[in-house]
Amino acid sequence: MIKVLFFGPIAAVSGVRELVIEHTPGLTLGSLKESLAAEHPGAMRLAVMMAVNGEHAHDLALPLADNSEVAFMAKFSGG
Amino acid sequence: MNKSCHSGAGVQMSEPVRIQTGDFSQDEEVAALKGSSKRMGGIGTFLGCARDFSEGRAVEQISFDVYGSMALSEMQKLRSDAIEKFGLLDARIVHRIGSVNGGDNIVFIAAGAEHRVAALEACRWIIDELKQRVPIWKKEITPQGESWVTAHP
Repeated sequence: MIKVLFFGPIAAVSGVRELVIEHTPGLTLGSLKESLAAEHPGAMRLAVMMAVNGEHAHDLALPLADNSEVAFMAKFSGG
Repeated sequence: MNKSCHSGAGVQMSEPVRIQTGDFSQDEEVAALKGSSKRMGGIGTFLGCARDFSEGRAVEQISFDVYGSMALSEMQKLRSDAIEKFGLLDARIVHRIGSVNGGDNIVFIAAGAEHRVAALEACRWIIDELKQRVPIWKKEITPQGESWVTAHP
């Protein structure tokens, strides 16, 4: 299973904070992003930052291991 | 070294990187920083506050959302990176979450070095990097409604 996390503006637009997605062989950050974009287009348009297991991730080709935690995040506005 | 506890967050004041709902004391943070070394010749600080006006609208309140575990680990990395990059003796970063009103404190950064240039430059670098790296989002609550802040000049 892959745990997907949404925060702030993305959680507000999608109406969800957490999704559980079945892990499939060959799943990458990019393919997960595409499938989420089909389901939550408005929210995923805001997703300019990504994190895998709490670390910044930039490579859409990154393979996702089972039980990963993936966050798709809008531009940060802390500080 | 100040060992008192912060009542709002239940976190020891001696922790140099914190995310908390309650307010912080600049005096206590600076005292804790100074307590770490007597070789400190300069301390640069930055205090970020909530503005009560933004993009032509009155702002009543600001609320924050945070990816807690990642935000804390990014802030801890940021502190270590700043200490290494600028040769600091110590640094502290405290960010509030929850809801704050106009004029309230949001973030405090203190950087201590042997000399002023490193302290001031590190302080500026830490707040700029924090805005790029740390997963925290700000929502402005105005009489016209609520909106997430997407730009951060």
